[in-house]
Amino acid sequence: MSTPVIEIKNLEKVYEGAVPVHAVNGINLTITEGEFTALKGPSGCGKTTLLNLLGGLDKPTSGSIEIGGVDITTLSENELIDFRLRNIGFVFQAYNLIPVLSAQENVSFIMLLQDRPKEEREARAQQLLEAVGLKGKEGQRPGQLSGGQQQRVAVARALASKPQFVLADEPTANLDSTSTANLLDIMEKLNKEEGMTFVFATHDDRVIKKARRIISIEDGKVLSDE
Amino acid sequence: MLKLAWRNIWRNKGRSMITIAAVMFCVIFAVVLRSFQVGVWEHMVDDIVANNFGYLQVHQKGFWGEQSLDLSMDEGALPVAQWQEVDGVRSVVRRLESFSLVSTGQSNRGSLVLGIEPEFELPGLQLIDQIVSGSVFEPGSDQVVVSEGLADFLKVGVGDSLLFLSQGYRGASAYGQFMVSGIAKISNPELNKQLVLMPLQTAQWMYNGMGLLTTAVIDLEPGTDYKEVKEALQPMMGEDLELLEWEELFPELIQTIEADMAGGQIFITILYFIISFVLLGTVIMMVSEREREFGILVSIGMRKTKLAFVTVLENLMLTLGGAIVGMALVKPVQFYFKDNPIDLSGQMKEAIEQFDFEPKLYTTTSFIINLNHGAIVFFIGILVSSYAVWKIMKLEPVKSMRS
Repeated sequence: MSTPVIEIKNLEKVYEGAVPVHAVNGINLTITEGEFTALKGPSGCGKTTLLNLLGGLDKPTSGSIEIGGVDITTLSENELIDFRLRNIGFVFQAYNLIPVLSAQENVSFIMLLQDRPKEEREARAQQLLEAVGLKGKEGQRPGQLSGGQQQRVAVARALASKPQFVLADEPTANLDSTSTANLLDIMEKLNKEEGMTFVFATHDDRVIKKARRIISIEDGKVLSDE
Repeated sequence: MLKLAWRNIWRNKGRSMITIAAVMFCVIFAVVLRSFQVGVWEHMVDDIVANNFGYLQVHQKGFWGEQSLDLSMDEGALPVAQWQEVDGVRSVVRRLESFSLVSTGQSNRGSLVLGIEPEFELPGLQLIDQIVSGSVFEPGSDQVVVSEGLADFLKVGVGDSLLFLSQGYRGASAYGQFMVSGIAKISNPELNKQLVLMPLQTAQWMYNGMGLLTTAVIDLEPGTDYKEVKEALQPMMGEDLELLEWEELFPELIQTIEADMAGGQIFITILYFIISFVLLGTVIMMVSEREREFGILVSIGMRKTKLAFVTVLENLMLTLGGAIVGMALVKPVQFYFKDNPIDLSGQMKEAIEQFDFEPKLYTTTSFIINLNHGAIVFFIGILVSSYAVWKIMKLEPVKSMRS
């Protein structure tokens, strides 16, 4: 039996307002090591909110999220930042690379925050960029790369910190079909060869087809888990 | 982090250059303004103090306050040789100073009379460079040198006679008729309007004070700290003598300098307010443009304090860059106007002379002014950076990434 990486219990997120919105409404989930999971659902169903809660970017209204045995809902702001740095990799829809840094520096940056030695940072960044098919593009800045290439740098950056899992929010939304196929192949390969756990929030059928577990979300609840 | 901050600065080259230029001009303007202000005072103090009155003076206790000849010193009783042994003391200059009504018969004016020995005097009263017509009086002669302004007022020239009427030592009448041997241009406008110089012995005779001095000026070696000399001399003064430094001799000059400096400070403060808002505008724009990026950096694990440090670093690089360039560019201007003062003319000259100031604008070359203003800009940089720090510390990653 695989080790649970994420355990979510009775998770709720309510946005207060004139009419309170239950973005996440009592979700219970367990994600185990090595999964390639897609959270699917229509826009506004709560999948991005769930991803933000899993990544410790947002605080739940109630419930708990245990990652590697640590309930991240109880951590202070700085503890959460440090926890994210060491345990979670992020891939965003809009790539979100640092524009003034080269591809290699973007990947190294997260390891710099982890205070890893320069030699290790450079070697791992090169290795990861090669793994995502960007050998020879190390010195180029995000503005000099295509959208697909930027997203591959983002994947390399997400893996650089050797996280327990990677959260990807609509990673293919801005990519053409070729770039999407390339990116998914890379992530699938990393999942299979290195056992990296991936959790996607997506409504892209191309991603959903590749996923080995598909969790459908609607109105903040889990509708199905296949 | 340094590399990241440096590259962030050049992300928006135009804005960064405008910010650097604004800081640079602010520093240049502030330093030039201050240099002229300090330079004029420095020159005036140097003229009054170093050239004419000295940094340290010894009197009979109470003389400087009462300006009475009755509080004169017996020159034979002064331990001058002992004073001259103190490090930094070049010589002790003997003077008898008092006031007198000076008359030509047609016009008269209350004047300051200084009995001096020009060959032993401070540079401003050696009279070799100051004489504009005639010559210096002979020691012990019945001759006087009149300041140019007073000579103009009294309409006297070389060879004319002047009558003196005053009160001498212990209430004796003091009067005399002396011939003008020369006219001297005294650089200090105040003195130039009222000074009469005569041989020390002649003054002692006229004021019925043979063997008396009112003032012993301590002439210092160049570069000597007068406060240190004062400290060394003080124990030798006994109970009857007072040793005053120039700030005590001319408290009104200090007050005038302070008032003028405060006036200048208002202009500079306004200038710094303007530059603070320019910098704040840059910081607000920068924070607003990069809010999303800040959210991402915090999301991927960068502590807010580290992020704040990078943004403060960026801001300090901009402000320091501008300040350093400004400090360097203004230096030649300071040196140029130190040796080539701006000669004021017309109404401005008259207005300034009314306040007894020399109508010339000098600069100071003191680098302290440049450093002070550089430091102020640096402080402003830190202050306006606090806006970025505040925004970062209250940043919510999810909201920021949506911005």
